[in-house]
Amino acid sequence: MSKIVASLLLVLFANLCALPAQAGLPEALPADLQWQTNNEDPIFASPDAKRGGRFRTFVTTFPLTLRLVGPDSNGSFASFLRANDLGLVGLHPNTLKPIPELATHWAFGDDGHSIFYRLDPDARWSDGEPVTADDYVFALSFMRSKFILAPWYNNYFSEVITEVVKYDDHTIGIAGSVAKPADEMLFDLSLSPVPEHFHILDENWVRDYNWRIEPNTGPYQISEVRKGKYVEFTRKADWWANNKRYFQYRFNPEHIRVKVIRDINVAYQYFRKGELDNFPLLMPRFWHKKAQGEIYEQGYVAKIKFYNDVPQPINGLFLNEDAPPLDDKRVRYAIAHALNVQKVIDTVLRGDYERMQTANEGYGDYTNTHIRARRFDLAKADQYLTEAGWSERGPDGIRVKDGQRLSIRVTYYSSGHNDRLVILAQEARKAGIELALNLLDGSTAFKQILENKHQAAWMAWSGAGLSPRYWEFYHSDNAHKPQTNNVTNTDNPQMDEKIMAYRTATDKVTRVKLAHELEQMVYEQGSYIPTFKVPYTREAYWRWLKLPAFHGTRTSDQLFSPMGGSGGLFWIDEAAKRQIEDLKDKGQPLPPAPLLEIDETWKLN
Amino acid sequence: MSIFSLKNPVAIKRWQRFKRSRRGYYSAWLLLLLTALSLGAELLANNRALLVHYQGQWYFPTYSNVYSGEQFGLDYAYEVNYRDLQQHFADQDEGNWLLMPPIPFGPLETDLIAGDFPPHASSLATQHYLGTDTSGRDVAARLLYGFRIAILFSIALLILNYGVGVAIGCLMGFWGGAFDLIFQRIIEIWSNVPFLYVIMIVASIITPGFWTLLLIMAFFGWTGMTWYMRTATYKEVARDYVMAARALGASGSRIMFRHILPNSVSTLVTFVPFSVASGITSLTVLDFLGFGLPPPTPSWGELLKQGTENLESLWIVGSVVVAMTVILMLVAYVGEAIRDAYDPKQFSYYE
Repeated sequence: MSKIVASLLLVLFANLCALPAQAGLPEALPADLQWQTNNEDPIFASPDAKRGGRFRTFVTTFPLTLRLVGPDSNGSFASFLRANDLGLVGLHPNTLKPIPELATHWAFGDDGHSIFYRLDPDARWSDGEPVTADDYVFALSFMRSKFILAPWYNNYFSEVITEVVKYDDHTIGIAGSVAKPADEMLFDLSLSPVPEHFHILDENWVRDYNWRIEPNTGPYQISEVRKGKYVEFTRKADWWANNKRYFQYRFNPEHIRVKVIRDINVAYQYFRKGELDNFPLLMPRFWHKKAQGEIYEQGYVAKIKFYNDVPQPINGLFLNEDAPPLDDKRVRYAIAHALNVQKVIDTVLRGDYERMQTANEGYGDYTNTHIRARRFDLAKADQYLTEAGWSERGPDGIRVKDGQRLSIRVTYYSSGHNDRLVILAQEARKAGIELALNLLDGSTAFKQILENKHQAAWMAWSGAGLSPRYWEFYHSDNAHKPQTNNVTNTDNPQMDEKIMAYRTATDKVTRVKLAHELEQMVYEQGSYIPTFKVPYTREAYWRWLKLPAFHGTRTSDQLFSPMGGSGGLFWIDEAAKRQIEDLKDKGQPLPPAPLLEIDETWKLN
Repeated sequence: MSIFSLKNPVAIKRWQRFKRSRRGYYSAWLLLLLTALSLGAELLANNRALLVHYQGQWYFPTYSNVYSGEQFGLDYAYEVNYRDLQQHFADQDEGNWLLMPPIPFGPLETDLIAGDFPPHASSLATQHYLGTDTSGRDVAARLLYGFRIAILFSIALLILNYGVGVAIGCLMGFWGGAFDLIFQRIIEIWSNVPFLYVIMIVASIITPGFWTLLLIMAFFGWTGMTWYMRTATYKEVARDYVMAARALGASGSRIMFRHILPNSVSTLVTFVPFSVASGITSLTVLDFLGFGLPPPTPSWGELLKQGTENLESLWIVGSVVVAMTVILMLVAYVGEAIRDAYDPKQFSYYE
């Protein structure tokens, strides 16, 4: 980060005032703003919910820090911390409209990239301090600080969010760098405050704050940390948002204990003994083979399969166009036709997963539903390869051209995917293509991929936001250089043009049209081969956990997530717990037994 | 019966003593047999036929180039599926036939049975005698090929470790002095490097192949042997015959190779079986942890991992645990017998 910003920080500390407004945000609050809020959408929690009890869940590694940013802060435990770090606005999980969180109202500036928020005067930090505009102004300087050692945040809060201005204690304005559709900008610029009274930013910040518990605005706060064993959250006695429309009846357990269990199979044994309350069963192996036995047959534990409708992770095989022979489009097409994805789904995945058709699915109107992924078709693969000059087969059945074997190195990082890739490799041999499997550990694999030293990467990018992202994955600005998300090194001038048009368009109709065209171009490019999607969540849970009648929301990726935007809907029924434990001792069933629920409310046809 | 005519009376005596411990003697033969069988694994477990008789021609696909389906009158250009071909020949009834190996599956081949999801239980009907693993690969085939890799790996490791260890140990004992002192310190430091962590670090940076893994393990494994060789050499160097050889003008290397090494070989030989066992175990451990040979290499450790993750499919963990126990037991018996053979005391008296 530049020295200018660093010295600005010092100025900030000296004056504790906002950055002087540059071009972007007006100095005084515009008078003609159209303030909006949303108190009309239906609530998505159950009024029957009861407070109390201890919810026990697990993570596989103990967090290396309790900081939200900085080195080692992006582990699996971070989601618990982030879920208690509310933003200005939330997303209604069913209607996908904005709902108030820390802001009660919002209004859009007429320049297309500024937003004004009215803060909720009730909002409090966990130490009782009020949340004020200063905490947002501080958040920006905090995120830009070089002391937090977080280049991504430094960059995001300089490049995407350019300015935060305080108008009074409960009114702020935020400017973004590019104009976007209003609803998207609302979330992109919805930053979380950082408690100014808690942090002392200096070169020791990363070390000094590693295990300190930062005040937060969410329902839970860490109450106990046993290093290497567990972290316990306790619900705030008098949480400021208890009676807010979209927060009532939620976040019901009194305590949440996040236990460290390093092996998922061991974790399942804990669950079987009733020492964990729920268990995710997304993996076919668990759902079909492991989740059986007395606890299910007697009905103490129920299974549920809940279809949701969320942006799908971009899952598949990414071919690096800078790595010959993948620079030849025909070879890329041939590989797509040589991947027998359906066979993998029908066999090792037990028909549980579905074929993904294109990169961006689950984005509503933005999704181009006309594209069909290239199917396993040896004749087509043969035709493309013959055209590309790979017509000869060597003694081992693999195609050769000018003494080169057609061998593609597939870099991947999840040993759980071995059996999928083994089948794909075996089937690809029929087309005369060798897939050499290269399993690395996560960080090494990412390093290799981000440095463009891979040929093909078997990976997934998380799907997120309200509309697909193209610039980071396909724009030539990000091609042929390390540390970008354009791992296919797509470099296509026509695509660049469209991507820029898509980035600057602000009305939805145009953006949807461009997104569909771009998606088609991604298909033509052939460097991304879609594989699987999982449009549901599956869980097993002890039946003292109670869910609302509708089980979950449109965007619930877990039904028993105790915190977060669509989380905290379940509750613990202590009486039922005693009853189940009693029945278990006597060996009597709990009707209806066994219990398997399938909820298709949000299933897309 | 003696397989090699021993001239040295001491060696003859040792050989007889070795034979006298029946358990060790038979274990040694069994181990040799199993190793020999595993070297010919392609003939025992393979998806390629042993021989094909097609239109009057003989084919031996086991070690040959790939035969495409078209060569046997089928309609595809990729490698022919011999099991289907066998069925096809039988249906045609034109006098063509082929002979499959006893286990008609290769170690890397996924065989998926319709209507059932892997791992498939063992059954005679499907010819998966020990069932399949989670990707539908034949457990028996993977055990066999995995054993071959493990035993070759541990023998190669042994040769490397002993080569370096014996050379350095001998020199330490023979030269002594500063060389000895310096190397002692080096070895003390070296043997305190946590080698498993080193492997993990290396495995996370590159995907280790057979040779890489071998070199890393040898890199840290040679130190153990040096201490024994150093003391043995010290002991022998002080003997009169070495003095005599020196007086006759024998060179250092001649004294080492012709006099000292043969006289201290007994120390070495007794360690060999245990080193083989530890080589197999190390490789299995590394594969189990996922830092070993890259998939889809057949390996015991990987099978063990699958087995422990799928305890309800007992045939996976059962097969590999039994196989490991048997092999390690055989090696231990052989080791025991060798130790007894080299033990100058025939009987121990306890008072």
